[in-house]
Parts: sequence; structure tokens; C-alpha cells
Amino acid sequence: MIRAVVAVAAALLLAFIIIPLAGLVLHLAPRDIVSALQTPAAQSALCLSLLTTVIALAITLTLGTPLAYILARAAFRGRSIVDAIVDLPIVVPPAVAGLALLLVFGRTGTFAPVLARLGIQLSFTTAAVVMAQVFVSSPFYVRAARAGFLNIDRTLESASATLGMGPLRTFYFVTVPLAAPALLGGAVLCWARALGEFGATIMFAGNLLGVSQTLPLAVYLNLEGGSMPVAIALSVIMIAFSAAVVIVVRLFERR
Amino acid sequence: MKSLQTMNRIRFCALMLATALVAPLPAGAADPAKITVFAAASLREAFEAAAPAFTKKTGTAVTFSFGGSDTLAAQLAQGAAADVFASANEAQMKKITDAGLAAGQPKTFARNRLVLIVPKSNPAGITNLPGLAKPGVKVVLAAAAVPVGGYARAAFKHQAGQPGYAPDYADAVEKNVVSNELDVKAVATKISIGEGDAGVVYSTDITPDIASKVTVIPFPPGASPDAIYPIAVLKNAPNSRDAQAFVGFVLGDGQAFLKARGFLAP
Repeated sequence: MIRAVVAVAAALLLAFIIIPLAGLVLHLAPRDIVSALQTPAAQSALCLSLLTTVIALAITLTLGTPLAYILARAAFRGRSIVDAIVDLPIVVPPAVAGLALLLVFGRTGTFAPVLARLGIQLSFTTAAVVMAQVFVSSPFYVRAARAGFLNIDRTLESASATLGMGPLRTFYFVTVPLAAPALLGGAVLCWARALGEFGATIMFAGNLLGVSQTLPLAVYLNLEGGSMPVAIALSVIMIAFSAAVVIVVRLFERR
Repeated sequence: MKSLQTMNRIRFCALMLATALVAPLPAGAADPAKITVFAAASLREAFEAAAPAFTKKTGTAVTFSFGGSDTLAAQLAQGAAADVFASANEAQMKKITDAGLAAGQPKTFARNRLVLIVPKSNPAGITNLPGLAKPGVKVVLAAAAVPVGGYARAAFKHQAGQPGYAPDYADAVEKNVVSNELDVKAVATKISIGEGDAGVVYSTDITPDIASKVTVIPFPPGASPDAIYPIAVLKNAPNSRDAQAFVGFVLGDGQAFLKARGFLAP
């Protein structure tokens, strides 16, 4: 009896996840998907999303790796607080993140005087899209990288130091390769989250074709006003990306 | 003893599950009457103010889903369950009637007027409609599919070439658009916090809070026809009787609440 209940419950949730995704993918014939993807709106959203997510990932890797390393290695007062802060964007609703970015980096925000002097306006720009993506996605990389650094056999690092390698070379030639599966897995998850970013983007970067209209925004906009096939085709692309991400992360985890 | 506990636990789980599966059906039928109204974002203040009066009069509770009329129409076309649809333009209502989703003819229950808003600080120095075409002005509009975004663009096209407006006026304004927001409230917000230099909203969106942060510039006479608000009971309404009552209320006693929020009579 209890077994059957467990099995039914499990099957229900699984079906609930599979059926809508499959329904979306099968809604259009492949030929229609391909032709919808060739529209300017779809092309622009694809290019913009790829460009911004790659830049966002590069920024996260550059700044997030040192942060993850410090969190894994350095003992300092308040580390658990820093840990918690790093994770915060995962649970903060994206629209709230967008509002926060707007109120700080916006034209009348906290940094407005500095930004105005430098002649920079961030809101409604592609830069704002990247900022929103970094904000919401960076924790996924930092968490994974921190765990990766924690799991390394530290005697190997000591050996490297004993053999005359400086700290930086040890880091690049010993620590990073050892933590590589975790770092890459985290990077892939981080990229996927950036790709799906919607709420903070619409709030902080707005919505303009070729400037801030990323894939998720294009799906929404085409769904309501433009073309349903374009919305569906772009959704299918995003599902394909997501499936690839899940598979890649699995591969890294297995190693 | 232990097995008894386990048995009890299993029975408890099974009972909970059974309750969870079965409970919603009779509870739903016995609930006090309620209706779900899909309404344009611009109607939020007026409808929220009117709802308690309707509930008091009829005993029917009203749940609203406010959004861009185009979003709501798309949701309804995809089978969202609602009793009433109140749109901010005829185009989105037409989608619903064309799809055979409306019960009977939609009725016009209000009209609205476009206004230009600029932040109180007016960073781009805009004093009239032609000012939107000046190079570098950051114009925030609702997306073209959102009624107010459609009305605004139609007005720009209408003005193009008139005295004081360049022949390519509409294109020049479109070039200045920095964001196509998802609904009219988002436009009002972006201008009120000074992110954009100018935006087009309905006169009814100038709530006291927004009014304290923006300067309102009326559209010139004839630039834009009034926005027409149609309302209809939906064919698949779970509660069509009370839905009819709500539409009747909006066309009758509810008019006072719409008028109080700056809507024009139908």
C-alpha cells in the first residue's frame, strides 16, 4: 500500500515535469522551429543572450574564483556571514535584485553622481543585462568552486610548494586542475542561470531589441504580442541548452 | 507496539493523502460565491476600490489578475480560467471574441486619455510632444503589443508631418525608445524614479504617489483617440451568473469608482 502511494507520488511529479516540457517541444514541427529561429527578433535575442552570458561568466570566473578560494582556505572572523551573503542572490527574487540594482546603479541611484561625472548610464544598456546576470548567477559558481577547493588533497599543494613552485604557480598548475570538475560544473550551472535571467533584467536593463531583449524576454514579448512560433522556438532552444547543462554537470559530478 | 505505531503512521499518511485528494472538490462547491477578473493593469486602482462595494452588494468575492491586456488575452487564449476580461483596448478584446471565448458582445465601460510624463527634474527639458524626437532623449514606452504602447505609437504616426512635427517624427521617437516595458505601470515607475526622460501612460496612471514625482504633459487635442475599455463575460466562466453581475456593476454603480480615478464615461 505505502509502496504504491510512494510510486504514484513520484510518478506524478515526474510526469508533471516531463509533460509540459515535451508538450512545448512537440508543439511545432521542426521545420517551423527552424524558420521561426531565422526571424530577426529570434536571431537578435540569441546573439545577445550568448554575448551577455559569456561576458557575465567571464566576470564571475575572474572575480568569483578568488572569492571561492578565500572562503575555502582563509580562516577569518565572519566567514560564515560572507558565505551566507554569497548565497543570498539564489534566494532573493530576481525582481527584487533588479530593483536593488536600479536603486543603486540607476540614474538617480546611490552611485548616480559618480556615474554621471564619468558620463555613464547603466540602466537600459547591455551592460545592465550583464550586471543583472552576474548578480543572480555568480553564487552558483562560487558555491561549486568553494566546495571544489575544499575537497582537494592539500598535501599535493604542499608538495608543489616544497618543489619550489610559488603560490600563484601552485594555484594554476595544481589547485585549479585538481578542482577542475567542480569549477567547470559550477561554471556551467552559473551560465545556465544567467541565460534564464528575466526579472532583474527587465527591471534594470529594460527591454529593447538588440540591447536588452535576451532570450527569456523575447519569449515573453513574442508570446504576448508578437509571434507565438518565435516564442515557442526560442523556448525549445532554451530547453535544449538546459538539457545540455544538466548532462554536462552530471558528467563533471561523476568524475 | 512498534508495528502498531508504524501502522498508525501509515494510516495517518494514507488519510492525509486521501484528504488532500478529495477535499478540494466538495469544498470548492460549497465555497461562497467568487469570481476571477482579468483586468488591464491601468484598471488596478479603480477596480480594487470598487471590489469591496460589489462584494458588499452581492456577497460575491472578487479576485483580480492585473497585467498588460495582451498578456491577459494570451493567457485566456491558452485556457486560463477566469470569469471576466476587462481590456484596455479593443484589439486585445477582439482576440478573445475572435477566438469564441467571450459570452455575448463586449461592452465599453470606460475611456482613458494618453498623457506624456517626465520626471520632476526633467533632465531632457521636455515640454511638449515634439520634444520626444530630440536626439538622445530616453523614451520609455510600453511594448507595441501593450495597448498603451500601441496607442502612443499611433499618436506619433498621426502627428508626423503636422505643424511643429517632422515628417519622420514617429521614426525619430522610436529611435529614442530605450525600453519597451511589459505594462503601463512599469512605464510610470521607470519615469517616476528618473530612469527615463519621458514616457507615455494613461491619465489614470497618475496616482498621488506618481504625481509627486512626475510632471504631466497632456497630448495635443486630436493626437490620439481616447483609449476604449471593453469588458466581457467569458464563455468558460466558472461562475457566469456572478460574472454578469460584476459586468452590470461596472457599467452601473462601479462607474463612480472609475470616475474617481480619472476615467472618462463610456
